[in-house]
Amino acid sequence: MSEPLTSNVRSHIVGTTAVVYASDYLNKLTGERIERECKKQLDSGCRTLVIDFSDTGIVNSIAVSILLGIIDIAEKREARVVFSDVNDQTIQLFEMLGVIKHVVLAKDEQEALNLFTPPTQTQAMSH
Amino acid sequence: MNATEEMRQVLGRVKREEFAGRAAELQRIVSHAASSKLGDRDGGLLILLAPLAGVSELLRQAYDQIYNRQGDIVPVYFALPQTETTAVSAAIEFLNTFLLQYIACRRNEPSLAHASLTLNDLVKLAPVADVDWVEELVTNYNQQRFGDDDRALVRFCLSAPSRVPSHCARPFVMFDAVQLSGYDDESVPFATEIVRALVFSDLPFVFAGLRREVADTFDRAGLNARSLEVIQLNPLDEEDAGTLIRSAARRLAVSVNDETRDLLVQQLEGSPLFITALLQSARAKHVSLDSYLACERLYVEEVMGGQLSRYFAATLERVTADPETRRALVRLLSESATSKSSSGMKTASFETWFRRLELEAVEVEKILHRLHIQELVNWDGDTVNANGGPEAWKDYLRSRFRLDALREPRALVFADLMAAALKRAPERVARHYRQGAHLLLRELISRFNSQRVPSRLFNYSDFAGLYKGADPAEVAAQLDADTKLIKLPQVFHTTSGVSFNPELRQFADEDSCVVAHAFEGATYSDANEIVWLVAKIESKLEASAQLTEQWLDRLEAMARRRAFVRTQIWLIANEGFDSEAGSLLRKRGAYGSSQQQFQLLSARLSEGEDPASHSGDPAEFVLVLPMGSDSELLAANTVEQLARRAQFSPEAINQIKTAIVEACINASEHSLSPDRKIYQRFRVEDDKLVITIASRGIVPANIESRNGAISHTGSGETTDGLVGDVSDEFGNAAEQRRGWGLKLIQTLMDEVEFERVDEGTSLRMVKYLRK
Repeated sequence: MSEPLTSNVRSHIVGTTAVVYASDYLNKLTGERIERECKKQLDSGCRTLVIDFSDTGIVNSIAVSILLGIIDIAEKREARVVFSDVNDQTIQLFEMLGVIKHVVLAKDEQEALNLFTPPTQTQAMSH
Repeated sequence: MNATEEMRQVLGRVKREEFAGRAAELQRIVSHAASSKLGDRDGGLLILLAPLAGVSELLRQAYDQIYNRQGDIVPVYFALPQTETTAVSAAIEFLNTFLLQYIACRRNEPSLAHASLTLNDLVKLAPVADVDWVEELVTNYNQQRFGDDDRALVRFCLSAPSRVPSHCARPFVMFDAVQLSGYDDESVPFATEIVRALVFSDLPFVFAGLRREVADTFDRAGLNARSLEVIQLNPLDEEDAGTLIRSAARRLAVSVNDETRDLLVQQLEGSPLFITALLQSARAKHVSLDSYLACERLYVEEVMGGQLSRYFAATLERVTADPETRRALVRLLSESATSKSSSGMKTASFETWFRRLELEAVEVEKILHRLHIQELVNWDGDTVNANGGPEAWKDYLRSRFRLDALREPRALVFADLMAAALKRAPERVARHYRQGAHLLLRELISRFNSQRVPSRLFNYSDFAGLYKGADPAEVAAQLDADTKLIKLPQVFHTTSGVSFNPELRQFADEDSCVVAHAFEGATYSDANEIVWLVAKIESKLEASAQLTEQWLDRLEAMARRRAFVRTQIWLIANEGFDSEAGSLLRKRGAYGSSQQQFQLLSARLSEGEDPASHSGDPAEFVLVLPMGSDSELLAANTVEQLARRAQFSPEAINQIKTAIVEACINASEHSLSPDRKIYQRFRVEDDKLVITIASRGIVPANIESRNGAISHTGSGETTDGLVGDVSDEFGNAAEQRRGWGLKLIQTLMDEVEFERVDEGTSLRMVKYLRK
């Protein structure tokens, strides 16, 4: 049996919300890692995906296309997607590439969690 | 060695400082002697001469320089004798010359090089270090010369340099074989023996011959001339010819002025032989060459009976030894040269020559071959074009024909030739000055090279409206600030419009109408191919609509006839175009410029002539990164620092960084780059940052499909029809989501375009500083 692929993406679950942390440079490789992680979280029953960009300096267009793919998948599964802590440069990029209209933006992770998750149900789990 | 010794004239006929032109060639020959290695079969240097180029003084000067160094290289200069001789006697003369010059150099006695000595004398004079091999060589020669094998003797004599022992000074033979064709009737294949002896000697050498003959000679000898170094020697250019005239006139105490110097440069077609001959004749006859009349009188005397006449007569004798055949040949060549065929081509078939010369076909072939080598005709085996040779040659033929065949009085022929030469003189100089101006037109077009220039330089009405009467410095400054630019195509071929339409000759000089084949955009594709049709219109005032229309019609008709698919007409009139003509130009999509615009354009294109010269610019930074490993981040960080120093806003810096990242990804993903490198150039200017991202490899399909026409110029507008409505443009369907990089770059930067490169891509992006 082959070894399961590890995504090397930091994430945690709060209730039915998965918080996935994007890396400092979001490109094809790191974008695909996030995609894999998000799919995994959706498969395990998460209803909301929070992708946190607090560490992210630059996002390239390939990564944006992957993020849009994640949004598509989430929509099909009736899950919601929130982007948190996105810097101005990336917001501008998301606006240009039409990402903004498909996601909710939150100032930070906490705001994102507050949007959908009652604080009492928080249960952290590291991967 | 003292300074006097360094400057000694040994074989040189003029002093070193009076030797005009050919400095680079001289340097190459002298360096070649020193740099080539012993035993290197490719150590030869070929000098391929145009017939009038002249090489003997060049080789003599090289000889003197090497001689005066008195190093371990001994120069040997040998010119095949011009006078009638055989391969055997020429080979023996070579042996004698070789030993004479070798010993003269070894003894450091320049006068010896001119002495008339027997081989036995030379043995006695040989220095101690050389006496053994010299004696042995002479002994062996004496044995060979009494044998009955001419070829063996020739081979022995020519191989003399390779018989010098390796511990002795190395000979450097400079073989002047301009007269080689004079030996092609020999039973010994002399040309073959010469080149084989030189190549197989394993010594460095120079072999100079007529360019149409040298390659043939090497081929016949079964040797590869292409592996040798080559110098192409053409007649002197105008500047060097003028210098030679000034220098020779001073040396010979002949008076010339600027006007006659220019005339002689043109009339004698930069030939050192003709120039020297005419000035020597002027000295001998105590004639001042300070008027056209004096120059033409002397010229006609030379053509009819002086050195030029003797030169041409000797040339003809080498072509055919039989006087009767020569007379027939002169008649045929003279008639061909004066033929008034409408095409201007003096072409006849081989059959015609065969009939007219009444010789065996093989003899006619020999004659044509010799004339072809001398470039007096162009013969391709089938047709013969007899329009070759210098003007003096044609004058010689005319005079010989009238004197010998028509038996006209010499005085009449002289007077007619003189009258014709005098009439030609001012026309020739005027044509030269005009050509100078028109050549500038062709040169200018050749320099377009995808450069950007203010579009107003091609729109007279617009230009005149803004700048007419303004101070030139102010105009130049305004144009510098002009942001309305057009990108010129990359021109790969220019020729006279007359080549495409001979009828244009009646409206313009040969070079005042130019057809330029070019490519626009970044790729060599059908869609990017364009032909510029350019004409300089003669008009003292602003060109009228009628004149403008005539030229537009002519050029458009030519484009139709030649099936040029895309064209751009550009008319240049000295004073520009009147308003009606301006409207016409606009309506027909043609450009129109005045002479002032032309000059401003010329100055701009000269400035941008050498983009490589920017490489040392302190405002330019170059970064080469390997593809992959997120190296685009390094580029983004670098540009961030530069943009910050240039005081770009944080938002603009972010845009630039994203654009750089996208450009690098594009280069990495699509180019199949062989070296996997991204070449980045950042140029910080007062008002902008110019970034070029280049990579080797293929042109990606997303660029190719647009035929390289991407040229985005700010504000979201692109010249290829893309409009910067972001959401529409990018779309978000899954299948559309890749390939956004280029569009993104166009949105983020003010100017984006692919530059012409031979391989791969070069993306140029500009961000303007908005303070």
